Amino acid sequence: MASVHESLYFNPMISNGVVQANIFGIKDWVTPYKIALLALLHEMSTTKPMALLDRRRLNKLILPLQQGPDLTFEQLLSTVEECCAPMVNAVKLRLFLMADRELQDMEHFFAILPNAFSDSEAYKTSVVGLYMRQMLLAYNKLSFSQVYKLYKTLQQYCRQGQRPPRDFSTLAAEDMELTSNDDPGSLHQSDLGWVTSSDLCMGRVLPRPLWLFFSQAYLLKNDENKAMRPATLQEELNNILKFNPDFAEAHYLSYLNSVRVQDLYISTHSLLHYFDRLILCGGEGKSNGDEGYGRSLRYAVLNLATLHCRFGHYQQADLALQEAIRIAQEANDHVCLQHCLSWLYTLEQMKGSDSVTLTEDSVKMAAHFCLPYLASLGVQSLVQQGATQGIPANRLLDALRGTDVVHWKQSLSELVEISLAQTASIWRLYGKSTMAQQQVQLLLGMASLESVNYGVQQNNTEPFAIALCHLAELHADQGLYGAVGDIIKHLKQQFPSHTQHSKLWMLCDLKIQFEKAMNSGKFHLAEPHVTAIGALDSMEGLYRKAQLLRALNQMSEASKILQQVQQLGVKKRNTEMIIRVMLATAELHWDSSGFSASLPLLLQALTLTHTHNLQSLESETILHLAFTQLMLGVPEQALALVQAVLESVLAHGALLKKGRALLLMARCQAVLATSAPEELQVEMAVQTLAEAAVFFTQLGCKPRLRDVYYLQARLYHTLGNVQERNKCALLFRLLNQELPPGSSIAATPL
Amino acid sequence: MTHSSSLEDTRNMAATLSGEFADLAQIKKQLISVIAQCKERGLVHSVKASELAFSLPSLPLDEVPPALPLTEEDALDLDALCLAKSYFDLKEYDRAAYFLRGCRSQKAYFLYMYSRYLSGEKKKDDETVDSLGPLEKGQVRNEALRELRVELSKKHSAGELDGFALYLYGVVLRKLDLLKEAVNIFVAATHALPLHWGAWLELCNLITNTEMLKSLSLPDCWVRDFFMAHVYTELQMIKEALQKYQSLTEAGLTKSTYIISQIAVAYHNIRDIDQALGLFNELREQDPFRIENMDTFSNLLYVRSMKPELSYLAHNLVEIDKYRVETCCVIGNYYSLRSQHEKAALYFQRALKLNPRCLGAWTLMGHEYMEMKNTSAAIQAYRHAIEVNKRDYRAWYGLGQTYEILKMPFYSLYYYRKAHQLRPNDSRMLVALGECYEKLSQQIEAKKCYWRAYSVGDVERMALLKLAKLHEQLNESDDAAQCYIIYIQDIFSCGEQLEHAEVSTALRYLGQYYFKNKLYDEASLCAQRCCDYNDAREEGKALLRQISAVREQGESSSTDLSLPIVFNPLSNTTTPVRRVAPLDLSSVTP
Repeated sequence: MASVHESLYFNPMISNGVVQANIFGIKDWVTPYKIALLALLHEMSTTKPMALLDRRRLNKLILPLQQGPDLTFEQLLSTVEECCAPMVNAVKLRLFLMADRELQDMEHFFAILPNAFSDSEAYKTSVVGLYMRQMLLAYNKLSFSQVYKLYKTLQQYCRQGQRPPRDFSTLAAEDMELTSNDDPGSLHQSDLGWVTSSDLCMGRVLPRPLWLFFSQAYLLKNDENKAMRPATLQEELNNILKFNPDFAEAHYLSYLNSVRVQDLYISTHSLLHYFDRLILCGGEGKSNGDEGYGRSLRYAVLNLATLHCRFGHYQQADLALQEAIRIAQEANDHVCLQHCLSWLYTLEQMKGSDSVTLTEDSVKMAAHFCLPYLASLGVQSLVQQGATQGIPANRLLDALRGTDVVHWKQSLSELVEISLAQTASIWRLYGKSTMAQQQVQLLLGMASLESVNYGVQQNNTEPFAIALCHLAELHADQGLYGAVGDIIKHLKQQFPSHTQHSKLWMLCDLKIQFEKAMNSGKFHLAEPHVTAIGALDSMEGLYRKAQLLRALNQMSEASKILQQVQQLGVKKRNTEMIIRVMLATAELHWDSSGFSASLPLLLQALTLTHTHNLQSLESETILHLAFTQLMLGVPEQALALVQAVLESVLAHGALLKKGRALLLMARCQAVLATSAPEELQVEMAVQTLAEAAVFFTQLGCKPRLRDVYYLQARLYHTLGNVQERNKCALLFRLLNQELPPGSSIAATPL
Repeated sequence: MTHSSSLEDTRNMAATLSGEFADLAQIKKQLISVIAQCKERGLVHSVKASELAFSLPSLPLDEVPPALPLTEEDALDLDALCLAKSYFDLKEYDRAAYFLRGCRSQKAYFLYMYSRYLSGEKKKDDETVDSLGPLEKGQVRNEALRELRVELSKKHSAGELDGFALYLYGVVLRKLDLLKEAVNIFVAATHALPLHWGAWLELCNLITNTEMLKSLSLPDCWVRDFFMAHVYTELQMIKEALQKYQSLTEAGLTKSTYIISQIAVAYHNIRDIDQALGLFNELREQDPFRIENMDTFSNLLYVRSMKPELSYLAHNLVEIDKYRVETCCVIGNYYSLRSQHEKAALYFQRALKLNPRCLGAWTLMGHEYMEMKNTSAAIQAYRHAIEVNKRDYRAWYGLGQTYEILKMPFYSLYYYRKAHQLRPNDSRMLVALGECYEKLSQQIEAKKCYWRAYSVGDVERMALLKLAKLHEQLNESDDAAQCYIIYIQDIFSCGEQLEHAEVSTALRYLGQYYFKNKLYDEASLCAQRCCDYNDAREEGKALLRQISAVREQGESSSTDLSLPIVFNPLSNTTTPVRRVAPLDLSSVTP
């Protein structure tokens, strides 16, 4: 039952059941800001003698002022002041003359407005002339009470300029305070009147939704941290929507905002609401053609699909996508179909099934329909898949380079970033750390392009997260843990833990911590990291668990888990992991002295690394092979193998790997020296060991350092250098006491 | 507390009434005095109280309550109050407030504040028309509200507000969207002046669920029973509401048109059309010039396709007052029934111009646009309806339908689900959901929906048929046959003839099914019944021929009667069979 007090909410925009109002129809209305702008234009055309430089600067200012959102009076004045100081006073004077007197003065201003332009360089058809005529038309349409209201708001607009400045945030906070459930006692009457009047003041209220929409939507996309906090933004939006239910864009912003906090319920609701509203706006066009609401229908379903994708509801996403494809097909909308197709392969990829053919089709079609963005995305996706499936490196990099040309031509900065991050990833996969680092630096250095690409800078996107993670890992490889800490701290700031890409750095951080703990032999520290890694990436977690178990001498459990990982790796076609598992299994064989049993595994791994260009893993495998040969009693062969890969290891490898390679070489040399005693050989071995020791000390890898000292002591003994021997023996003893018992020398064979 | 036990509680609460109903004369006295008070203050809610008072037996002269004695303050303000009240009645609110500004009595204070409030509201409405652009449109507010709130809150903390002023304070708070405080103030208002129905009504609008209702401490007064019944209706707890109204009528308020209309609306909500129609007819006899609730009445007539009655009602209402929301809705319904959808939409639009917050009209307009295949306008209308009331299941359902028409079944799932959430036991939403799932090839989900639709009492009797067809598609012939059997029983037991009944389809399938399972007697029975229907006659005959051919070959029908035989009642079809006991269909449930 309607209450008698229920206000007669009346919608004057309604006609034929469809509300015609749209937020972007705002340009057809006169606001105080626009009057101020008109005054500026008027002054500019009437004051003839003006410094050329001033005039040029002012002319440059006009377009942004006309097309931008409404500014407050002060903002406008200060902007003008930067260009031409005398103009400020003229505009101020004119507006105050209008505001401080009577309605008639405003009427007069609009009456003389066309005269000023009739004999100036501003032609009727120019931007300024058009704007002026538009405003005149809008003004003449107003009824008396509307004119009076406009005058009132103009007065407030000018008066606000005279007030001591109060910025938006405090105003908004105050406004919210009034409408929130606070204690009525806390209200100050003096404030009350002021806020009320300022609410009405168009200078503030009118541009706000628009301003909010553009800035926040932009920030949500590019730099989430700078956007308002989710709760505040939502409150703001609810406020806007309460008074402007027709402001569909607010629903969209609310969708973006709730996706940010992973709220499925509100995000679905807002998305659907937005499109329900959008359909109305486009209703004037052809009903089912390219322009009509049929188009927004298609994109509505597509957006729903992406939403489900994002939340990991693959079945729902699939259904929605199929629906989008069906109606797009019916409407012959190729562009929409292309978008659908690119989502289809993304979905397939997310589900973990093979999507290469789909992607290839998508790229071909996108190229055919001249959709560079989609085509490039497709190529990038293909490259990603190709890298894991062992497509030759030159083809991948060629493809990336080809798309890069397109990106720069079309200034698709987003894709440029993705491309750089991808290249860095590929280089890392191939084990070329320097190249990877260079690409990462290139991407991070893009910030310096900001002045060229004004405002396109994105700090908060996935490529940046990936690049920074790579950087952290590369630094960790070199034992620069201080730098790693800094990078992780930055990542934490840029991608707070509730955001979408936070998992990337979490995993990266955990891996580094785990490695660090394992290297220094502190297994109890590594254990909690295993669980955490498992939560983020189950396969990686299992692999790390196996490593830990092996270090703790629980061989049978480790072997079981490795088998499990192997199966998973095959299922997910993760070659890198398969090879790593093979190596780990080989190590398990060593522990049970089954050196010959590990050989076929290692050889298999070697072929795999060859076909997939995984150089880092290849050298790792060769080192493993060399160690096996050493243990099988062919030190000459082992030495030859180590020497063959030593160059690439020293060039690209991590500190640990360098040290291990050198240690292995020293061992081979030592063994050779014992079989055929030769002073030179022994000396070389000692030297190699010293080099290895440097690496291990840098990394804090004590178990291996202990091995080095042991070997050194033995070698010095054979050389008869008692003093050096004793020194090494002492160091060995110290380390041995520090490290947990049970981890014998055999436990760290490589 | 578990849900069921809490429900039990509400049931018990619904059955009991305040003890004060024993003395109806006392109630009448109270009513008369509160009506007078309301009138003095310009509150129009008193109309409900007057209706109620009218329905009670009139009092003898010596028992008619005298007017409240005037206090000294009242006497001082008497002239100003008189003048202001006249201005107030002439809708010159600012003028009324001006002359009341110095008054001290409670009565004058209320009228002073109320005038200022109404003046603000009126200005707000006027402003809206003169807006300065689309963005500003929504920003128009009642500027007086903030000041009123500050003044009232001061007085409130000083404890100087009487029941009426508290009510006004609550309204102001509600308008400022301070709902929590508003609820508290309205509760206080009901305590201060339990007889003022306006405060109860406002409170009712703010109650969103039963938990909230239970948490409120309300005064123990006979008005409370009316309030509870009203809230139950609003919260769609129709059973409880009906119980409450029933006990109210039993307590001696049989003649009250208010109660009759409320019961009729409640019956309308649970789609008990016959009961509701009867009550509305009674209501029109008692109160022939009544316009309130007549839109609901017309909805009922529309559902029953009673064209002459609807036309009569429309004519009658136009004669009474053609510029009322209800009248416009009735006319809209009338045109819609005559399939003149453009005109219908026009009248619903007119209703909305008269009161844009009229929920029913938005939804009905949406339906009209749907009929006219103007989907975008339909979506807009439904969205407006939802904006006015988020719990409007018909609008959600309508949105779902619109998108289904646009061939977007997945999209419409969301809307149907919303509708289903609001009416969990309405088979129509479930059938719609099932259809969507079927279109999306989610047969398992679809089966669940259809079965659930049948279980909650299928209104349109389509769920079983669809379920059977689904089973047929999935080659689950046993389940399909079961469903067809129950479907046929259902159709015949309900007695009335349904337009879309597909008995022939069911019979045809069953005939084939029995034939395949070599139950020739049953098969021939089905085939014979098929011949009663035009569209299945040929097939029936063909099947009969097949059966006789098989029989001639000497194959005796299998005696293995493991299949359900429920056709005995069907052999006698001239009279509708009685409903058979529900079969064990556990195998059908997915």
